[in-house]
Amino acid sequence: MVLELQKPRPIWQIMFSTHHTDVGLLYLITSLGFLFLGGALALAIRAELFLPGAQIIADAMTFNRIFTVHGTTLIFLFIIPFASAVGNYYVPIMVRYKDMAYPKLNAIAFWMIPPSGALIWLGFADFTWYATPPYSIISAPGPAADMWIFGLKILGISSVLGAINFVVTILKCKHPDMSIGQVPLLAWSFLSSSLIILVAIPTFAAALLMLLTDRLGVSGFFNPALGGDPIAYAHLFWFTFHPEVYVLVIPAIGMMYEIIPRFSRKPIFSYNSGVFAFVLLSIVGFSSWAHHMYATGMSFTEKTVFMVGTLAAVPASAMHVFNFIATMWNGRIRFSTPMMWAVGGIALFFSAGAGGVVNSAMPLDFTTHDTYWVVGHFHLFVMGTIAFGSIGYLYYMFPYVTGRMYNETMGKIHFILSFVGTVLVFFTQHVLGLYGMPRRIFDYPPIPEWIAMNQIASIGAMVIGVSMAIFLANMIYSSGKGDLADTDDPFGLGGKYYYPFEAKNPSH
Amino acid sequence: MKWMLGLFLVMAVLVIIPALESAFAAGDEPGEYLDRRVIIWNLFFRMMTVAFTVGAVVSGTIIWLVWRFRESHPKAKPTPYEGTDW
Repeated sequence: MVLELQKPRPIWQIMFSTHHTDVGLLYLITSLGFLFLGGALALAIRAELFLPGAQIIADAMTFNRIFTVHGTTLIFLFIIPFASAVGNYYVPIMVRYKDMAYPKLNAIAFWMIPPSGALIWLGFADFTWYATPPYSIISAPGPAADMWIFGLKILGISSVLGAINFVVTILKCKHPDMSIGQVPLLAWSFLSSSLIILVAIPTFAAALLMLLTDRLGVSGFFNPALGGDPIAYAHLFWFTFHPEVYVLVIPAIGMMYEIIPRFSRKPIFSYNSGVFAFVLLSIVGFSSWAHHMYATGMSFTEKTVFMVGTLAAVPASAMHVFNFIATMWNGRIRFSTPMMWAVGGIALFFSAGAGGVVNSAMPLDFTTHDTYWVVGHFHLFVMGTIAFGSIGYLYYMFPYVTGRMYNETMGKIHFILSFVGTVLVFFTQHVLGLYGMPRRIFDYPPIPEWIAMNQIASIGAMVIGVSMAIFLANMIYSSGKGDLADTDDPFGLGGKYYYPFEAKNPSH
Repeated sequence: MKWMLGLFLVMAVLVIIPALESAFAAGDEPGEYLDRRVIIWNLFFRMMTVAFTVGAVVSGTIIWLVWRFRESHPKAKPTPYEGTDW
């Protein structure tokens, strides 16, 4: 592993490098930058909703812009690039290859992210991360909407290039002595999610083009005034973005598969079931997209098919949870910071999944559709599972990247505050949804229960905000002045690592 | 492994069958009267009963695991894999 910060190099050497750890470092820094930007917008949203009426945001349009960019940033500019960072660092070493299969393509895929991030942030569109038609094609103000569309288009190309690279690296460049059944589960998670990307993203790429031509007035695919159908966009969007949920969550589970056996001092309970569950999730991810559209007038049979298709993800998810629990059983677990994040992530993954089961039942979906229940549910996934797995892994890889140890006490405080904050915000939002509060609203009537629950959620968000400030301070301070790490075994756990320090790949 | 498969099957039946029953209860014929509010909340409570029961078991197991198998527990002992290249 390359110790990026222990031997300082000119920044341009890293920026123009195609070495997998350099590109990984660029992905890492970029994704963390966007984590804090998107998180700041989340705090603004929660501060606004602390009480009914306008609080800190001037009007509903600005509020819409803020939550649109918040969602777009954290999904496309934090979670996906962070996973790419981890994949870039570890996949080549895990499959024992000198680099990614196409190093230049890898660098190009990364360098598409900053301009697309700039387009999204400079435009600050207001039509939600779903780009809701027909509003987005008829009256969403330009050039913000067009900038968002181009930004997403570039990000899609970047994801496809990255996915091709991971698939080829894992399948074609792995060491000849290594069978596919010996590839670590983290690399398997990248293989699964990359295959999903390759199948899912082109549909949304087409939808974005259609959205753009609709906005330009040369077509009317989604414009009812011209005979188009906004529901068609919903199908195209969710055909990509329900599987995309698995693109986000599968690498995070892969990261937990690295952390949990390591800190339990045991091998994974069942490697095969982990692989099987990844493959199963990749397939059933495509059988559930229309559950987002129960309320749009689909036929009863269609709804039933998609309800069952959605429930098919439950066994695969349960296999992962069972695998984690069985791995920890009879272990000698060291609860260092990465392990705390991983175990917290499992608990919240299960809670989010249980909410999803309720959500997928179509009669219940009608009561929770477009309420804060949905907001609580998917945030519990993206924050409680994906971000927890990712941040845990960041602590895990920190000594390898920097050659120094982070501050363990600050890491644990970060976890505890984030866990408490996450439960306060997102469990409360589930209940708020059952009380009927719609999502995506700037103001709400002064119903005492709504006010109380919004205040609990906002306080939870502030707790997460404090924890993230501690995290930032820890990362910055420890990168430069933390204790030097024993890079062979930084956590003092013993045993074999997939990626000993000696395994670093030479620079080009 | 067979008992695990059986357990998954039971859980799947517990979750899917009630959902399907209520989903199909409406039928396709016009004129049928269904109190949707009652049906929906009945389904909700049944599914939440399953979810909370399973959730309590899994969460309880995780909490116990965390407490029992931590390295500072008095009964903690090295795993057979420590010191080996597993």
